[in-house]
Amino acid sequence: MEPMPKQLKILNWLTIALVAVGLYLTIWYAPREAIMGDVQRVFYFHVSAGWAGALAFLVAALSGALFLIRRERRWDRVAMASVEIGVVFTFINIVSGSIWARPIWNTWWTWDPRLVTATIMELVYLAYFMLRQGVDDPDRRARFAAVYSILGFLSVPLTFLSIRFFRSIHPVFFGAGDALSAGMEGPRMWVVFIFSLLTFSFIYGTFLWHRLRLQELSERLEILKMKLLSHES
Amino acid sequence: MNPIDAPIDTFNYMVLGYAVILGCVVLYIASLALRFRHLRREFEVYESIARDETDEPNR
Repeated sequence: MEPMPKQLKILNWLTIALVAVGLYLTIWYAPREAIMGDVQRVFYFHVSAGWAGALAFLVAALSGALFLIRRERRWDRVAMASVEIGVVFTFINIVSGSIWARPIWNTWWTWDPRLVTATIMELVYLAYFMLRQGVDDPDRRARFAAVYSILGFLSVPLTFLSIRFFRSIHPVFFGAGDALSAGMEGPRMWVVFIFSLLTFSFIYGTFLWHRLRLQELSERLEILKMKLLSHES
Repeated sequence: MNPIDAPIDTFNYMVLGYAVILGCVVLYIASLALRFRHLRREFEVYESIARDETDEPNR
């Protein structure tokens, strides 16, 4: 088993440093929002987790397409790893949003288009793993999963645009000039927000690399098991 | 400042929010580490079996 590459070790420490600085910025550097108070600070990591989840699903869809074109197993590996990480980030996004909503909307959950579409997106990608579990043949499994990851990606823009298409109480962050409803006032808040997006992109990259190493080890183990079985018979 | 103009006290929700976010990240890291350790152990066991089997015909 190869030791952890030096570049990955550097990436680990860089990501840890970014998270530490990001926490400092969100809790101490960013000003306290005038109406919502401290809970508005959750927004920085809440939106960043949503961004990292969408990025992960985009990478999965692109890897799925590359697998279908080139038929190289490594793209299936990337897609699978990316979907798993995307599910974790989307879960963080939904739960942290619910915590923010409790004091601001006076409820943990409401059937708002953004909340519903984000949850559907999470369920769509959880079903990706059910699909993989249900197909034994590795080639068919990779092919089906690739098509599913491309089709499943439709849920990402749907989630992003849901608050623009339908009537919603969720703050519109980008494009509508209504970032103030999310409490984004002043340049300091934007600096912290952009830094948080960068930090979560690095967390995603680091997780992806580790998850790929895990998958490679798992596949090597399977090959070794098959060799032993064929040797015995 | 008039108390009615002050922001609402949502500090506890902020703490809860960050605890959940960081908790999920730490849990995922732990899950990766545990799966990796488990697979590496299993790999080493099978590797030693494979080594024994290749040594056996030479004895």
